[in-house]
Amino acid sequence: MPTWTDLQPFFVSGLALGGVYALSGVGLVVLYRATGVVYLAFGAVGALGALIAYSMIKAGAPGWVGWLACVATAAAVTLGYGLVFGPALARRDPLVKAVATLGLTLILFGAMDLLWTTGGGQSRAITLPADNSGFTIGQVQVNWTQVIGLGAGVVIAAGTACFLRYTKLGTAMRAIANDREITATLGVPVRRVEAAAWLGCGILAGVAGLLLADLVALDATTLTFLVISSLSAALIARLRSVALTFAAALLVGLVHDLLTPVQALSNYRDMTPFALAAMALLVTSRHRVMSAGEG
Amino acid sequence: MLVRRTLVLAGAAGVLAIAGCSSSGRSAGNGTSGSPATGGTSATAPATAAAGTVSTSQCGTKPGAAATGTPIKLGAIVTDQPGTSFTDIANMAQAYFSCVNANGGVNGHPIKYYIETEQTNPAQIAAEAKQLVQSDGVVGIVGNTSILECTIDHTYWEKLGIAIIDSGIAPECYSTPDSAAVNMGPRYSSDGAVQYALSQHVSKVVFDQSNVPGTGYIAAGPNALAAAAHTPIVNLTENVPITNADSVAIKEVQDAGPGGAVVLNFTPPEALVILQAAQKLGLENRVRLWGCSTPCNTDFLAQQLGARWNSKLFVNAELTPPDTTSTTAMQLYKAILQQYGSKVSGGVGSFSQMGFAEAEIAVHALESVTGGYTMATVNAAFKAVSNFNTGMNCQLWTYGSYSMHIPNNEDYTVTPDNGKMVQAQGCTAVSSVDPQIAGYRQAAGTAQLAPSD
Repeated sequence: MPTWTDLQPFFVSGLALGGVYALSGVGLVVLYRATGVVYLAFGAVGALGALIAYSMIKAGAPGWVGWLACVATAAAVTLGYGLVFGPALARRDPLVKAVATLGLTLILFGAMDLLWTTGGGQSRAITLPADNSGFTIGQVQVNWTQVIGLGAGVVIAAGTACFLRYTKLGTAMRAIANDREITATLGVPVRRVEAAAWLGCGILAGVAGLLLADLVALDATTLTFLVISSLSAALIARLRSVALTFAAALLVGLVHDLLTPVQALSNYRDMTPFALAAMALLVTSRHRVMSAGEG
Repeated sequence: MLVRRTLVLAGAAGVLAIAGCSSSGRSAGNGTSGSPATGGTSATAPATAAAGTVSTSQCGTKPGAAATGTPIKLGAIVTDQPGTSFTDIANMAQAYFSCVNANGGVNGHPIKYYIETEQTNPAQIAAEAKQLVQSDGVVGIVGNTSILECTIDHTYWEKLGIAIIDSGIAPECYSTPDSAAVNMGPRYSSDGAVQYALSQHVSKVVFDQSNVPGTGYIAAGPNALAAAAHTPIVNLTENVPITNADSVAIKEVQDAGPGGAVVLNFTPPEALVILQAAQKLGLENRVRLWGCSTPCNTDFLAQQLGARWNSKLFVNAELTPPDTTSTTAMQLYKAILQQYGSKVSGGVGSFSQMGFAEAEIAVHALESVTGGYTMATVNAAFKAVSNFNTGMNCQLWTYGSYSMHIPNNEDYTVTPDNGKMVQAQGCTAVSSVDPQIAGYRQAAGTAQLAPSD
């Protein structure tokens, strides 16, 4: 078993990863609450943005232009999907809405595999200026990208919670989540509110894609699949609570990384999102059954 | 509602997993096209710079005269799926055959080359082998590069008497009578990387590789070398794609200690994320040295890593370093790549070198055939190849009738140097401490070093 000293660096890396998962998870929850769509293309649009940023930077564009392009691409693709397919799917079952986003995932995935091939041993990376500087806590080296990862998760989660609670648009989103038809009859511009949710989700997908490309890998497959970790955090929060999504995402990141030095469990650590989500579902289901029994 | 949400997420995860596979594809050509390479990577640049003094017409016996005889049909099966694509190897072989076809062919016959791609599906791989033989009518297999193909098909090839010339990955590519590879494969390349680390007197070795079938077989070689050197070795495996390379790098460095070495056996993208994570966390100097098996030997990786890894990372190189070699064979390889290799996306590098060497060996063997090109005559010619200088290997290359084949068992070591991989150690024999290497040398002897021009 690793010692406490051995475990310390894994706390830092786990929190940083969890922070980015939180950012992604919050984006998914906000969109789900406003539109009822589980956006499975979240990772793919982030990956597309990151790969475009990579190509632009490699071609000589300043780093900040590439980063903006990443966010803009993810936002544009997500908003475009929402505007085109959102109204048509608005009255469909949540399962249909989710599976429809898989279509977008597969199109983007195929396009990325075609345009940014991994043939011939090609490998890519995005590095941010924050990678090369940092500080030390005890014996643990922390770089600023890790701090930004965690910080972004905190800021986005807190900001989104406040936005949904205190702003007119946030209130409208919550109202749509409760009942789209009634909200529409009250004069709320439903499509405009939904478009705002799609745009916000797309922006978060771009930011998450950029950070994950740096913290994890700039690879279409990896980034597309990473949405599962964020989804599990959102699921633990029952696709409702922003605060709980944030906490669950941090837990997923922490447990995943703290299992790394434990030899017997290390190769099973990728099951962390599934295991935690399954446990949360079992607990909440049991709680609901018991509550119903008592009632 | 909760159940519905769960179903939504579970279904989504399942479909995403399936989405990791793409459909199979195939192509066949007699190699008459020939546009310049447009890989769009900096790695292709040396092809233009260094290929000038050798003409592609040297690949055939009748410069400028297109072959018009009945085609000799050859085939290949290569893995091509998201994250793992070996199509460059077969595409480079196709480029070589195109060059030969445009310059007289093989005794007047053009080569028609069928490339099948697979997605690590055993049933698909077995079906493709049968399709090549029974439907397409190929008489030889050249350029196979697949994660599973040797394991799945070797008994089929042996039954038909087909002696394949390939780039090996699975153990059966090296341990069976009818497969001979131009590369060393993951085990012997890892042997070479660990051997270099041990030669630098490291106190401990951490050997980390992808958690895929066959890790025990691959690790057996490095473990034998470390045991013989009385150096502790820690074996690690990582699920790929790696979801947090920071934690992987931290674990490796903790396990190796300040005097130790971390040796990686991953594809270039996975190795890159680990090495970059180590760099971001300031870990690259916390061990004595870092090592890597052949997949890390790409300029792509050297460019992404930067100068901090100069003489810190040592990569095993199964093939002659292309950037610092200007032999006739190397110039011809670059010239053919430039003129005929439009489909070789990675440009100059190990994969295209392998394809070149395999095609070169095949053409050399086919030229010796007198009479008709049948399955029997072609494969007998392949097996008869002896002491052939591919220009891409340390040693002369021999097929032979042995129960196992490891014809490439001497290697180089390279290190990044400001965006390029440069030679750190010349041809060095992989130690016979690895029982497989010892077994092969006992059967086939030790091949001579290949002469340079």
